[in-house]
Amino acid sequence: MSLLEIKNACLKLDNKNILNGVSLSINSGEVHAIMGPNGSGKSTLSYMLSGRDGYELESGEILLDGQSLSDMSADERARSGLFLAFQYPVELPGVGAMSFLREAVNSRRKFIGQEEFDHLAFVKEARKEASKMFVKDEMLKRAVNVGFSGGEKKKFEILQMAMLKPKVSILDETDSGLDVDALKIVSDGVNAQRSDDNAIVVITHYQRLLDYIVPDFVHILSEGVIIKSGGPELALEVEKNGYAGMINAA
Amino acid sequence: MLHNIKDNYITSVNNYIKNFDDKSFRKLAGKDFKSWPDPLEETWRLSRLGSLSRKKIEPISLDAQEPIMSKLNVVGSNTIKFINGAFRKDMSSNLPKGVSLIELNESESVTFLSKIKNSNLKNHPSANASLSCTPSIVKLSVDKNAKIEELLEIHFEGGVESSSVHPVLFVELNENSSLSIIERFNHTGSLIMPLQLIEIKDYASLNSIKVFDDSHESYNLAAHCIIMSHKSLLNSFSLIKGSQFTRSETHAYLNGTNAKLNLNGVYISGNKQHHDLTTAIYHNVEECISKQIVRGVLGGESTGVFQGKVKVAPNAQKTDGQQMSKAILISDKASANAKPELEIYADDVVCAHGATVGELDDDQLFYLNSRGISKDKARLILIKAFLLDIISESVEETLHDFIFNEAQSALSSILKNEIEEFV
Ligand SMILES: Nc1ncnc2c1ncn2[C@@H]1O[C@H](COP(=O)(O)OP(=O)(O)O)[C@@H](O)[C@H]1O
Ligand SMILES: [Mg+2]
Repeated sequence: MSLLEIKNACLKLDNKNILNGVSLSINSGEVHAIMGPNGSGKSTLSYMLSGRDGYELESGEILLDGQSLSDMSADERARSGLFLAFQYPVELPGVGAMSFLREAVNSRRKFIGQEEFDHLAFVKEARKEASKMFVKDEMLKRAVNVGFSGGEKKKFEILQMAMLKPKVSILDETDSGLDVDALKIVSDGVNAQRSDDNAIVVITHYQRLLDYIVPDFVHILSEGVIIKSGGPELALEVEKNGYAGMINAA
Repeated sequence: MLHNIKDNYITSVNNYIKNFDDKSFRKLAGKDFKSWPDPLEETWRLSRLGSLSRKKIEPISLDAQEPIMSKLNVVGSNTIKFINGAFRKDMSSNLPKGVSLIELNESESVTFLSKIKNSNLKNHPSANASLSCTPSIVKLSVDKNAKIEELLEIHFEGGVESSSVHPVLFVELNENSSLSIIERFNHTGSLIMPLQLIEIKDYASLNSIKVFDDSHESYNLAAHCIIMSHKSLLNSFSLIKGSQFTRSETHAYLNGTNAKLNLNGVYISGNKQHHDLTTAIYHNVEECISKQIVRGVLGGESTGVFQGKVKVAPNAQKTDGQQMSKAILISDKASANAKPELEIYADDVVCAHGATVGELDDDQLFYLNSRGISKDKARLILIKAFLLDIISESVEETLHDFIFNEAQSALSSILKNEIEEFV
């Protein structure tokens, strides 16, 4: 049984067809890349999967570990092990990064029957994970994403992923706005999470990220459908010929 | 509808001052007290006194019984008490060196009155009624060059049903002095009419916190006149949470160059409460700075008002005036009004204002939900953050927790009705 199964997902926004029958089957231990030009529906797909209000399926089905997600709210999906790293992480003025992390981690732990962290234990754990991501302690004292640089925001997303230990992570353009050094740190952070028990979906516009996070499968999304799937070589083809040729051929 | 309060209340104020001679400041004040604000008058349009007018109210008698005192946990080092509007030396603590507190004599009171009458508070109902009916005008003064480390706490308490209460306070900071005060309004009476004049002389600085937490049947019509001189500084923060109707009206005159005013406020309203922050800042000379952040959280069927006028005189070049107000409605039946008003007659100024009334931000809510945090919990986190943010910006660090707890207790009571999973 696959860990995440997307069956013929269709979705409209503002009465416009955005996803037009996306199907994808992702097994434990796999990394899938979804590539596509701007506006092809990549972020919409990630919002749909994570259960954002207004992004309900028109038709189709999604199963996480065999369980249908359609009746589950975003927070329930997250607690069940779905994680979205945002293309544009949201600023939360007045919400301390450390207490936000703890709230998130404890709600997941509670759900899967693990003991919740107390304050001190959590701070220790968070600092340990943060240092692996080169996230400074000082950043955890600030409000979530407020005054963070582009790179810091993305590092903080991956730090959350590391601490939440999700079954399926969807990384939406995690490479955007990163310089080479930050890209390396973030990719190392993601690679460290790869395991036989989880799966990662990397959404990206550019091939560059896939040099660092090497996918097992690559899918090309265009106008809300997957027009081509293959191995890592597909990403190189995009790099060489652009999306246009591929889209025309499809 | 206001005729009732006009007729009844003005008659009873006149009866109250009958005993004073013609030249008394009380009689001088009472002479101008001919009518209550017309509901059509622009600055009272959003805060109507209709329900107050149906009540029969008289100025509190000076020998009104001692109220049962609320048990306030004191945060200041020195406490000054006003009971039923009267200063109570017997219940107040000694003041630190450099601070004095006196009750003004007749001629000083007349001078005080003329300062109020020269300001835009001249027609404010609390200015007229309180000058007519106050037991005494109390002056708190800080000596020149005195830097007061201790936090002064002033309690305004008491009140009897169907009575009005009239504390009048004159806070004077002499040159190069500094002071921090926290004022707390905890009356149980029906109509509280505090009147204050705050004068900050050259190079002096004042930190001022006000917590309006009168009982739910109360009305509080606070009126403040602030006069600031060269290089003076005022950090003012008000938290309005109690009463069924509180309007805090402030007129601030920046009369000396390089004066700096931070005039921030928060209101937290539930049930049928009505909370109003009305301010007017007059930039009369060049190079002054005024900054204003106002936030409201409204539940139940409550209503909130922020009216903020900034007036820049023709010669007040290089004025910096910023104003931001934001209200969050957490119930369908709550509503808020924001009325920023810029009147600029100088050309070289930086002035900005923004006002929003709305619900919590969808992107922020989704971000929290996507981390496993429930909808209700996410709302609670964002509302707290909305307040914590401004409190930590406005209040000295040692008082963060105190003010945040004061805000939190009001939040708890309004969120209980709105958020199921409230914790
Ligand atoms: N809220 C919305 N209402 C209507 N159309 C939208 C909305 N959000 C995105 N779209 C449209 O959906 C399409 C896909 O957008 P998106 O998923 O953000 O693409 P990508 O992430 O691949 O760049 C675009 O044409 C975009 O304009
Ligand atoms: Mg996108």
